[in-house]
Amino acid sequence: MTTSQHVAIVIEDEKQIRRFLRTSLEAEGFAVYEAETGRQGLVEAATRKPDLLILDLGLPDMDGVDVIRDLRTWTELPIIVLSARIEEAGKIDALDAGADDYLTKPFGVGELLARIRVVLRRHGAAPEANNKSEFCFGEVRVDLGNRHVFRAGVEVHLTSTEYRLLGVLIRNAGKVLTHRQLLREVWGPAHVDSSHYLRTYMAHLRQKLESDPAQPNHLITETGVGYRLVE
Amino acid sequence: MPLAQHLSLTNIVMLYLVSVMLVAFRFSRGAAIVSSVLSVVAFDFFFVPPKLSFSVSDAQYLVTFAVMLAMALLISNLTYNLRYQVRVATLRERRARSLYEAARELSGAVQTEQIVEIANRNIRGVFQAETAVLLPDLSERIVPPPVTSGTDQKVPALDTAIAQWVFDHQQPAGYGTDTLSASPVYYLPLKAPIRVRGVLALAPSNPRLVFVPEQHRLLETFASQIALALERVHFVHVAQEALMKIESERLRNSLLSAISHDLRTPLTALVGIASTLATGTNLSEHNRRELAQAAADEAMRMSGLVSNLLDMARLQAEGVHLNRQWHVLEEIVGSALRSVGQALAGHEVQVSLDPALPLIYIDSVLIERVLYNLVENAVKYTPSGSTIRITGQIREGSLAVSVTDNGPGLPPHMLESVFEKFTRGERESSTTGVGLGLAICRTIVQAHHGRIWAENVREGGAQFTFTLPLLEPPVIPEQLEIDADKPGQE
Repeated sequence: MTTSQHVAIVIEDEKQIRRFLRTSLEAEGFAVYEAETGRQGLVEAATRKPDLLILDLGLPDMDGVDVIRDLRTWTELPIIVLSARIEEAGKIDALDAGADDYLTKPFGVGELLARIRVVLRRHGAAPEANNKSEFCFGEVRVDLGNRHVFRAGVEVHLTSTEYRLLGVLIRNAGKVLTHRQLLREVWGPAHVDSSHYLRTYMAHLRQKLESDPAQPNHLITETGVGYRLVE
Repeated sequence: MPLAQHLSLTNIVMLYLVSVMLVAFRFSRGAAIVSSVLSVVAFDFFFVPPKLSFSVSDAQYLVTFAVMLAMALLISNLTYNLRYQVRVATLRERRARSLYEAARELSGAVQTEQIVEIANRNIRGVFQAETAVLLPDLSERIVPPPVTSGTDQKVPALDTAIAQWVFDHQQPAGYGTDTLSASPVYYLPLKAPIRVRGVLALAPSNPRLVFVPEQHRLLETFASQIALALERVHFVHVAQEALMKIESERLRNSLLSAISHDLRTPLTALVGIASTLATGTNLSEHNRRELAQAAADEAMRMSGLVSNLLDMARLQAEGVHLNRQWHVLEEIVGSALRSVGQALAGHEVQVSLDPALPLIYIDSVLIERVLYNLVENAVKYTPSGSTIRITGQIREGSLAVSVTDNGPGLPPHMLESVFEKFTRGERESSTTGVGLGLAICRTIVQAHHGRIWAENVREGGAQFTFTLPLLEPPVIPEQLEIDADKPGQE
């Protein structure tokens, strides 16, 4: 194993899914270690110094969300969760517990690799990235230092709450944020159940920043889960 | 006697007769007879000269006495009989009424438990007896009535073995009969035209009320009314079961044929593609890629089918559980369009939503599913290059969302039936889908107390519209605008 090679751990009980994950990850230059159960996965995660963990939520021995909680007590390593379509609640729990992203089965390799690139980039980004003075998506340019937002070169006026919301999304660009996470960040812990505030302000942001608010390209809704800012 | 100075003796006789009649009316027959005799004696003693003596001066009075006694006895007898008749008639009327009441209640009963309750209540009232209706289980064994919370019947020493005997032999037994008369409980069979439906058990507190012939006939009438009601409910049940069986059989058959067609087609393609890839040695890299992409597309489509099947099964098995929150329609439309994704590439999509739409209280996952299915349908049934329009507006106090295409439209006879399960458009051979999409839409919209319907628009094309009730949205307080360094604008 060379030092430059990324290490990925796949915790998934289905053999065929492990197999295609391994093949596609290895093709991307990962060293892949597999685990069939949550316990085994935790042991692998502790010993292999992984850069990425892919976790199926439906494990035979323990709840995937508990695996995430356990991992998050000692590591910030990026976790991508795989879940069946029906388990909205499971996805939200996983994200609130600290998972970085999720994929709904069935998914294509292209999608998986795109998500992996995003989490690795976010993760690999040194702290100075947070001091970036500018953030751009589509036609929008955000001057973080002076709190100015421009769309196609024209300044857009955002209210302070709108700006705060946009700021949280920018800090987590590419990552899914659950309603709870966004509400806590923007409105404070007292408002974590007031998701209609969030929806209303998100609609305002789309009106101001998206070219077609009904078919947004950047401020993306993850139905039943939360939002994601896509560059 | 001042009375004697004002009234003639004849009228005094009349007064005595009236008093006899009153006594007969008020008291027993014996009292009436005694008062008849006493009145003759008193008349003789007080009024017939010589007064205050039993001796009679004029022999004529003997005739008066005889006739007076005869009249008094006759009147007392008649009066008493009249009274008796009235009492009997009243009793008879009460019986008829109780029977009528019970019959009326029984005819309205649709469940066995109701019948048992009605029977117990009515019989207890009329016969002053603790009662129980014992019913057989599927294997013809009489089961003791379920122990309910105190208030219900409590027949002491209820013996299911005797009840079983009564049920099997279709004869009464227990108290007051020739069979097992030592038991304190009277059991009689509930005979309906087809068969015995159960056993009625009575523990009478006053046996006369049960075994007097008239009362007993009444009891038997009660029993046959109960038996008839039980039989009716039984057959209603049987008929319903048969209907449900036919219906589920029909559904299962159409489901099986739809699934076998719609799942086998992509599976055949998948197996074919995979084996070509596995064995084809001289495929160009380009062909290989194309085949692999085709396999992925087929598999994704199958996944969509399976999702629909699972959704329908889930909605039906568990009912629709709504996770309602306040949402912006625009967002739901956006995410639905995003999930249709690539399939929309060949179509133009126009969205026009009334900017004044309020927040709506819905389950976003399910309403997104409705929009997704409607848009996917429009894509499926229109040629590429068609336009799909999504509109949202307030109409008659509801939110009305329409998905309109400019394709061939729907055959008029299908406007209603498209929402049935396993119904598909005409071009079914070339289009996959088990015809569940719109059925799922309808289930979801109805769970939101909305309506969904299809129509053809005048310019050509199909239009699907669903409505959602508008509720008073929550206010978003101004102070939520958190003060930041930069003053809020707008």
